[in-house]
Parts: sequence; structure tokens; C-alpha cells
Amino acid sequence: MNHQTFSAQPPPTRIDFCKLDRLLLLELYRHMMRLRRVEEALIREYRVGEGIRCPVHFAIGQEAVPAALSPLLKLEDYLFCHHRSHGYFLSKRAPLNQLIAELFGRATGANGGLAGSQEISCPSVNFHSGAVLTGAASIAVGSALAFQLKGSSQVAVAGFGEAASEEGIFWEAINYAGVKKLPLVYLCENNIYSMYSHQLSRQASDNLHERVKTFGVQTHALYGNDVVAAYLAIKEAVERARRGEGAFFLEFYTYRWSAHVGPESDDHVGYRDSKELDFWKERCPIQLMKRNLENAKLLDVETERKMISEIDQEISEAIQFARSSAYPTEFLSKNSAPSNPLAEKLLPLSEFEKFDAYQADAVLGPY
Amino acid sequence: MMRELTFSEAINEALYQALELSDQVIVIGQLVNFKPAVFGTTSGLVQKFGPKRVHDFPVSESLMTSTGLGAALAGMRPVLVHHRMDFMLYSLDAIANWLSLWRFKANGQSSAPVTIRAVVGKGWGQGPQHSKSLHGWFAHLPGIRVAVPATPHDAKGLLLESIFGEDPCIIVENRSLFSMKGVVPENPYRVPFGRSVVRRTGRDLTIAAIGMMVPLAIRAANEAAMESIDVEVLDMRTVAPLDIAGVIASVEKTGRLIVADPSWQRVNVGSEIVSGVVEKIALRLRASPLRISLPQSHAPMSAALEEQYYPSEKRFLENIRAVMSPKI
Repeated sequence: MNHQTFSAQPPPTRIDFCKLDRLLLLELYRHMMRLRRVEEALIREYRVGEGIRCPVHFAIGQEAVPAALSPLLKLEDYLFCHHRSHGYFLSKRAPLNQLIAELFGRATGANGGLAGSQEISCPSVNFHSGAVLTGAASIAVGSALAFQLKGSSQVAVAGFGEAASEEGIFWEAINYAGVKKLPLVYLCENNIYSMYSHQLSRQASDNLHERVKTFGVQTHALYGNDVVAAYLAIKEAVERARRGEGAFFLEFYTYRWSAHVGPESDDHVGYRDSKELDFWKERCPIQLMKRNLENAKLLDVETERKMISEIDQEISEAIQFARSSAYPTEFLSKNSAPSNPLAEKLLPLSEFEKFDAYQADAVLGPY
Repeated sequence: MMRELTFSEAINEALYQALELSDQVIVIGQLVNFKPAVFGTTSGLVQKFGPKRVHDFPVSESLMTSTGLGAALAGMRPVLVHHRMDFMLYSLDAIANWLSLWRFKANGQSSAPVTIRAVVGKGWGQGPQHSKSLHGWFAHLPGIRVAVPATPHDAKGLLLESIFGEDPCIIVENRSLFSMKGVVPENPYRVPFGRSVVRRTGRDLTIAAIGMMVPLAIRAANEAAMESIDVEVLDMRTVAPLDIAGVIASVEKTGRLIVADPSWQRVNVGSEIVSGVVEKIALRLRASPLRISLPQSHAPMSAALEEQYYPSEKRFLENIRAVMSPKI
């Protein structure tokens, strides 16, 4: 399977719930709905007063993967992701208040207003993101290596897009993950475009998983807008990683409805056909799940109304929290550690400062 | 009589003791577990601490640095080793875009205690891809500490300080110093960053020297003493942070300054030291400051040209005489 052949198929209408618990199914649905409504609220807030003044890469259309990941991660697992970060921030159950306050550049933000949307982190729940491509895929390797050395059952997860694979370090990471059988799960959200550039103008084929497989990493490719299929695939990958069975690469075929960056459409650039966007809007991950839940009588009008009302209330309070928070006042001290407690504990200062004259005569070289 | 080690033995001892002091310490780099042991600096480590904590790495320097960062986030204190700094340049993205700003972008809530050892070649025809000393590049970045040790004592103490400190550090080790012998205390100890040390006291002229320029400066100072010029030699020890205050204190006394930086002259740390001094005490200077650096050229291979390329004691002496001459 590749993105093109997949996209030629009629829209999938049926989700196989695989006997998953109703509460879990509703949780997956709720996560997607919450993420969608957070993004929509932020788009409304974007050019309002002294609100958001940073680049934001909205994730509308790509809600399924972060939603599917969320129930599978433990606090002690590490999650790294790309600049389209909000879904993953919420996957790690980091506080919404801190997400929005961060975008507003306030001191109460997740990073005190120093990082913004594209580099946001929440170290207390082991979540990190960044804007420069392939940081997530490569740094996660180190955390996975540390888990392996410690013999713990933690996993490192990295979320990124298909364009990350165009950086050389991506293949260094895949190579090492394969050699070491690291407890590492890669989530590649293949949304076809790197900004405006189509994958097939940048890569000879759009079946990344097949190339990754040759490096000794387990792979699986699937439709990225079926949240239940995504959940089951990630579950297997995470469980295998925890059991020490090695790294897993999942390629999800999905699509971004939003512009690459910012609240306004970028379709005026002419990089994609409006029919293509309509095609993918028919494949909305949230609508797909909603219809299936309703057909299975797992979701009624009242339950959904209550869910949305709670979500909107939470978002409105978070925006209010951001608006009423103070701006940060200081940044210089954040560049370096204020002290080195471990060095102070383990090591005495050297009292020896002498430089013997004959040291100066030490022969330099040979090389 | 205090115990003496060579520069490379001192590095080896620091790594050994760091691995012993904490399970968090790991040593990663190409061939760190093979017998040549990166010029002897990793000898015996894999035998004592095992292949999990001391391990070889694919020829993927870029990934190596990211791996160090990720491992540090998960509680380790990785030491990354490069036989030559030139290969480490594959990892500039990891260093400049991730490691250096990791703490900053996390608002101080996440540390990346990664130590990177980068060996710089000198002599024996190392040529332009085996000899670059880019300590100035890295010192330019906020959030990274950069050390350029000049003695076995400091090679050990700065390495231990880096490993157990909270900020990412780059240790630039000049290969020409590896056989230098010096007194090294047996117990583990720290040499703090940002603190220069006076290697030779003098009244007439200050030479602020970095790394392998330090022994040259001392030898030249001893020669100058025969001409009744009393030279004070400062070893800067680290270039980020840079102890400008230490240089100022010395120049307050001598009124004259030469800066010796083993890198290209344009935009180097030497320029930074001169600026720092002039900004504070220009009117106390009795002569214009001079810089001794490498020519603005890549390193030639031929031994005949290497002699021209690297500063000699003679060149130090000429500069000392120039600064002491009343014409300026």
C-alpha cells in the first residue's frame, strides 16, 4: 500500500471496533473532538488583540493519530514530536491551560512563553517538540537507548511527517534503531505535503514503510483517519517495544486540512486541488468515528452534546486563563543552569593550580 | 612528589572515575572500545565497565549527538567522543538547534548534561580536514560551555566538571598536548568553567593564551625574561564562559596585552578578549593589544608549510618585543 493507491479507494465507512470497551472508544472520540475544537478556538483567537503572536501549525484533519496514542502512553514514557504539536501535547495529558498560555506568550505557559507552539514542551510529563525537522526522530533514539541500558519497560515515541525522512539523520536513526532493537515507536503522519511540495516531487515513491523495513525495523502502513485502527496498531508497536522486541515504524496515510502554518487557508498558492481537499474532508476522522459510534448505539445525542459542552467550557476557561496571565519578564537566566548540584556533591574543587615550568617544554606532537 | 600523568592518561582517569562515580555515565563514540582507545583516552574502560556503558557507534556523528541528548533527558550523563572535531561537524544541527537551546526553550525546566570530547589534530600533515579548532564557533552559542584545556590537570578536572554539571559542554582537546606530562591529583576533582589561571606571574605584559598556545607562551616568556621583560601568562582554560575579568585584572597590572588563540584570526575568541579588555580599560593600556592566531588559511599538509602555519616561540618573542617597544 502507498498513499496514492490508498487514496484511489472509496472512502472507508466502517470502523472495526474489535470489541474495544465503550469507554475507550468514547475516549478516542473525545480526544479527537477536543483537539479539533481547541484548534478551531485558537484559529478564532489568532488575530485578536494581544493573543497569539507566534507561528502555529494547526492539526485539523490529523486528529486520529495523537488521539490513538494517548491511552497507550504512561507518564514515564517519552514523547517527542514535530512542530504540529498540539495533538501530541494533549496525548501526553499535559495541561490545556499551559498550552494556550504558551501560545499567548504568558509566564504561565508550558515554557513560560519562551517556546511557543512549534517548540513547546512539558518536561514534567516527558513531552518535547521542536520545529527543526527530525529532532523528534533522532533525540527519541537516545531516550530509547537509555531505557534499554537501564532495563526499564519505558518506550520512546516520536511523531513526525513524511518529509522528515528527507533528512539524512532520519536514516541514521532508523539504522541505529534497527541495529540496537531499541524500545522506540515511530509515528509517521504522511500527509503528502511538505508545506506546498508534494511527496512524489521529493521522493521516488510514497511507501516509506517499505524502505524503512529494509533497515531491520518492523513496519506497518495504514489509513491514518481510522482512530481505532491507529490505536490497535500503536498498541501492538508499543507492547512489542516494551517487551524488548525492537523498534516499530508506523506510516499513517492522512491529510492536513489546515494551511501549513497559520489560521488562514494557503490554498491560494495553488499547490493542491480543491477537489483533493474535499476528498479528504469526506474522510474526516471525527465524522467517521461519530457515525460508527452512533450506528453501534454507543453514542447518543445527549452524550455528545454534554461532551462538546464540557470541552468548550474547558477551552473557554483556558483562553481566559491565558488572557489574564502576566507576561514573562526575564529570559537571560534560562540559557544556563544556575548551579551544578551533582558536580558540587561528587567533586571537590582542585586546589592545585601550578603549572610546572618543565611542562612548557613538553614535546608537542607528533599529531 | 605528586603523581604525574600525561594529558591522555588524565582524560582516561577522568572517564574511569566518572563511570565509577555514577551509573548514569556512558561513553559513546567510534572505536572507544577498541585497543587504540582514542589515543589512549578510553583504555581499559570497556573491560571494566562493559559494552553497555562504553560503546562503539555507527559512523553517524549527527545521530550520536541527538542520541546523547535523548539519553541525557532520560537520566544519563553521556560522554561523546570524536577522534577529530572535523567529523563532529555532521552534528551541527543537533548542537545548535537542539542541545544549546534545550534548557532555554524548556524555560529552565529540562537539562541536557551532554559532554562532547572533540580532538583537534596538529602536525604530521593533518591537513585541513583533521586540524580545525572551532572552539570559537561553539563559544558563540548561548547555552553551551566550551573548554580548551592546556594541562593534564585541567583535562581531568574540566572533563569531570562537564560530565557532572548540568549544561552541555564541548571539550576541545589538542592532540599535540596528549603526551604532555603534569601533576594530576589521584582523587576525582573539578575545575570550574569561566575561571582563568595565572601560569606565570609578571609585571610588564600579559599573554592571555588558549589551549596549546599556553606552553608556547610560557616558553616565550622564559626567553623574554632574559631580555628583562617580565611576562605574565594566563591560561584561559575555558572560552565559554570566558574569564574577561581575569584578563582585566592582569592587564590592570601590566598595561600590555597579547592574546594567543589557536584558531583563525578573523572573529576568534582572541578578538573577543581584546574587545572585552578595551571596552573596560582602554585608557589603562600602555600599548595597542596584539593577537597571535593561525593565519586566515586552511592548514597545509606539507611539513615545510606547517612550520609557517603554526605560531612558533620566535613569533611570540617578536610580538612580545613589539608590544614592549615604545613606538606604539
